[in-house]
Amino acid sequence: MINEIIQTILVISAMLVATVFLIYKFVVSPKRKKATKECGHDDCGC
Amino acid sequence: MSKQINVALIGNPNTGKTSVFNALTGLKQKVSNYPGTTVDKKEGVCKLPRGLKAHIIDLPGTYSLNASSLDENVVVELLLNKTDKNYPDVAVIVTDVENLKRNLLLFTQIKDLRIPTVLVINMADLMKRRGISLNIPLLEEKLNTRIALISTRQNLGIDSLKEIINNYKSISTDPCLDTSRIDPEYFDNLKQAFPNQDLYKLWLVISQDANFGRMSRKTLDIEKFKTKSISELKRLQQKETIKRYQFINSVLKVGQTIDTTKATGLRARLDRILTHKVWGYVIFFVILLTIFQAIYDWATVPMDFIDGAFASLSHWLKTVLPAGIATNLLAEGIVPGLGGILIFIPQIAFLFLFISVLEESGYMSRVVFLMDRVMRRFGLSGKSVVPLISGTACAIPAVMATRNIENWKERLITILVVPFTTCSARLPVYLIIIALVIPEGRFLGLSYQALSLMFLYILGFGSAVFSAFLLDKVLKIQRKSYFVIEMPNYKIPLFRNVLITVVEKTKAFVFGAGKIILAISIILFVLASTGIGRQFNNADYIVRMEVAGENLSEEEIETRIASHKLEHSLIGVAGKAIEPVIQPLGYDWKIGIAIICSFAAREVFVGTLATIYSVGQDDEDTIKNRMKKEINPVSGVPLFNFASGISLLLFYAFAMQCMSTLAIVKKETNSWLWPMAQLVFMTALAYLVALIVYQFLK
Amino acid sequence: MTVADLKKGESGIITDSSSDEIPLKLLEMGCLPGNEVELIQTAPFNDPLYLNINGSHVAIRHRIAALIQIEKADE
Repeated sequence: MINEIIQTILVISAMLVATVFLIYKFVVSPKRKKATKECGHDDCGC
Repeated sequence: MSKQINVALIGNPNTGKTSVFNALTGLKQKVSNYPGTTVDKKEGVCKLPRGLKAHIIDLPGTYSLNASSLDENVVVELLLNKTDKNYPDVAVIVTDVENLKRNLLLFTQIKDLRIPTVLVINMADLMKRRGISLNIPLLEEKLNTRIALISTRQNLGIDSLKEIINNYKSISTDPCLDTSRIDPEYFDNLKQAFPNQDLYKLWLVISQDANFGRMSRKTLDIEKFKTKSISELKRLQQKETIKRYQFINSVLKVGQTIDTTKATGLRARLDRILTHKVWGYVIFFVILLTIFQAIYDWATVPMDFIDGAFASLSHWLKTVLPAGIATNLLAEGIVPGLGGILIFIPQIAFLFLFISVLEESGYMSRVVFLMDRVMRRFGLSGKSVVPLISGTACAIPAVMATRNIENWKERLITILVVPFTTCSARLPVYLIIIALVIPEGRFLGLSYQALSLMFLYILGFGSAVFSAFLLDKVLKIQRKSYFVIEMPNYKIPLFRNVLITVVEKTKAFVFGAGKIILAISIILFVLASTGIGRQFNNADYIVRMEVAGENLSEEEIETRIASHKLEHSLIGVAGKAIEPVIQPLGYDWKIGIAIICSFAAREVFVGTLATIYSVGQDDEDTIKNRMKKEINPVSGVPLFNFASGISLLLFYAFAMQCMSTLAIVKKETNSWLWPMAQLVFMTALAYLVALIVYQFLK
Repeated sequence: MTVADLKKGESGIITDSSSDEIPLKLLEMGCLPGNEVELIQTAPFNDPLYLNINGSHVAIRHRIAALIQIEKADE
């Protein structure tokens, strides 16, 4: 019985961590990187 | 508590600066990012005599503080910003004996920023051979600095360098050039307006502003001083350069003697063949083919090993750990998922190894030289060669490698088409499908399977180049020719440098993609083992009822039950939902799920199938065997047959890359427009081609 | 004449490199009046050109090479 409970808890936590991580990586992170400067449309040679 | 000082390693490319960095820091180095950019930031720690610790930053190679690319801009930004925590207490300029004159330009510029500056002259082992002799004490006096004459190849002089860095406080910070001499009137005005600022620093900020159009720090209000036009500023920069060279020439005249009878010859002799109008190209293609062949061959052994090892690990875990969902998650979700990515470390490592050797030896510049004209036909640059080749390992470092393409349009096009090249992640998909559906047999000595793979690679390059051609015609951006590439001396790559590069790049790839895959594996597994409703919960009963009449073994019944459960799990439901869309391509819902998940990372396709086929199963069958047995419920024939196989191969050849690639494209182009365009266009293309091919072949 | 007119193996002394189109980087590598430039090799169609400018071995495109004025070095 205890084994089952522990196992279920482990799986649910893993699931939560994984989901949060992915959301962070693909939704939050790219937005943060938008802080970079405008570069490239003029002939700055860059 | 030992005190720590900041040391900046600066210098021209190809001077062996990286070797100096490696010699000083050993393996105690760390690679990260300059915030807000994609430029690599390399730092390390070095213990100096008498307890002082040096925090060393290896800045990107640059020829001058007048930056012409993102890399070089990072250097200037750091050196102009006293408040940056990495602002150096001492700058170490690495130069090499052969190009001392040119290297010293940067030296004089940095000295003028009033930072204690040390001069390192590397490649001392070549001095005798080239007939170069230097009067070090005299040079030290004229340049007002301390000089370390070293040879990283023979490991000489590093200790004296450490000693010099240790005594940095005794180095004078007087500038080399009196900046106001460039244009007395202009600079006098400047001096009056900003009496508290270094003249040279001011000048740099103004000219940088013109170069790059914006400054990230507002230390000076220079707006009112934009009294000169861009071309006038350029003229002043030219004057500055001339004056600096005059100074350098006067110093070297007395400090350096060259015996011209001892001319090299090796570089010239090699170049005669390697850049030959015909042989140059032949040799290059032979080298390319060899590399690809080697990777394909050499990597197979370690890859099979890894595949088998993970299958065994999975089985072993199930016998050792208590039964339950978490154990299953580990053994059937996480382990196969991770195995799917670790399995091609051999390939990635080999490819980075070859590219690194080509670059370290100096040959890469010759390749760029040979390919530039051809590349330009298609809107690319000769410098696009490195990204395109790197793209066969992974598109992410490839896109980052476009940083040194000066021309924006050429750079943009390169970034947009690199995902077409066959990256390592597609290989597992290709290999497994080819193994399943391409028949045995040979043609001109090569197996059909090898030929198919080669065809896919060529298709990748071909579509990249063709798309570049189209983009060049379509995109309305100006295009000027800023192309300048140095042709360094040939040298035997230092093993240590190559090794460190390979380790770093492979690590970055594995940990970057690895985390995403791990997360996806977990979610996937849970979705595949959870279900709601009668069909799922009572699977055991339902299936047994169904097969009551047939005479199946217990094992076969178990398999049927597992299959049934999968079909009605959450993931099965999602898969069935998109099935109508992909059925015309010859796929079923399981493949559908795998395709969707592989948007996270292409190789997840195989990992997903591995998970889907291992979920509920207990034996050690590797994925290949299980897929062979799969029957398409609609057509009654094996799911992975010739038509659907080819369709799948072509789908993957054109489909948009993993999420990580989209993210990096967004970063490098600074807008969502381009990655979205890539996603839409390439997915549509992939779908259409796969559709047509399947309908035609079946 | 310009750098683009050099034949393989020939050298010249730079007389004028003030065109706006010539990247500053090239000047900083030694492409300045008074310095010597030698043509080492050309790719097909004379583009790019592999040069030895003042000791620096570099490759540049034809368009830029045509903007660098030189006078032939005496034999």
